[in-house]
Amino acid sequence: MKTKTRMDYIKLYAEKLKEDNSLFRQQKMLIESQLQSSSQIFRSMLGDGDDFKQRARAYLRKVRMI
Amino acid sequence: MGELSIRAYRCISDYERLLGKRRRHTSSQGYDGSGHFVKKFLDILKRHSDYLVVSGYVSICSGRARGTEDVDILFPVMSREKFEMLFKDLTNNGFWCYQGDDHAGVHRYVKDMDSVRFALKKEMFPNIELIPIDESRKAQHFEFSRPQKIRINDFEFKVPEIEFEIAYKETVLGSEKDMEDAMHLRVFFSSGIDEDKLKKYKSMLRRGL
Repeated sequence: MKTKTRMDYIKLYAEKLKEDNSLFRQQKMLIESQLQSSSQIFRSMLGDGDDFKQRARAYLRKVRMI
Repeated sequence: MGELSIRAYRCISDYERLLGKRRRHTSSQGYDGSGHFVKKFLDILKRHSDYLVVSGYVSICSGRARGTEDVDILFPVMSREKFEMLFKDLTNNGFWCYQGDDHAGVHRYVKDMDSVRFALKKEMFPNIELIPIDESRKAQHFEFSRPQKIRINDFEFKVPEIEFEIAYKETVLGSEKDMEDAMHLRVFFSSGIDEDKLKKYKSMLRRGL
């Protein structure tokens, strides 16, 4: 399969994933690294003290998530 | 209730074997190694309500390599009394709610059919977007009434029929991310997809169900 577009790569990856379950390990690493990075960023920004929720909600209001 | 294909099951089981045995988090907060975030939330939610896990998490569970910040879960709109029990169970067991600490205040969102979000204490992401539904939300109500199960080791949860998930992403949502998710699901579940059903769902969605 000749891959040109982003969609081609998604198709190729899904086909390979069906053939080789070990690719799930790499996918897990990607997701884990995203979650850990995200967690660290917000911990740096909001701390983990008693005022976490207050600070978090102020952030959420600022980005219009609540 | 339908089930996903055997081949897909094998892949998903392999994934969950990895995901379910998450490393112990070194922080005093967040993941505690006793099971992952979604399982922990669903174990509580199941005590109070029916549910359906939808959208990105379905694709990610089947191997889609992309990030996400939230997990969308449909649940039938519930009374203030029932919601109070759910809210207390969640907040007493490691979750906090973006919208507030007062169950009555948060229930107003639910009553108005607005989503509410929960995350693990002292964490922002990932979060659960808990989406209330009733019969007025036709597409959600339709998929909710036709669940399919994914079993991942000891973690079993309900998702929409894959044909509906693909049809909804391609016909209703249609963003680049959704089209990519749909392509992944089409290829990954290719051996188990009922093409006639997929066409029927797409047609129904175009006509507003």
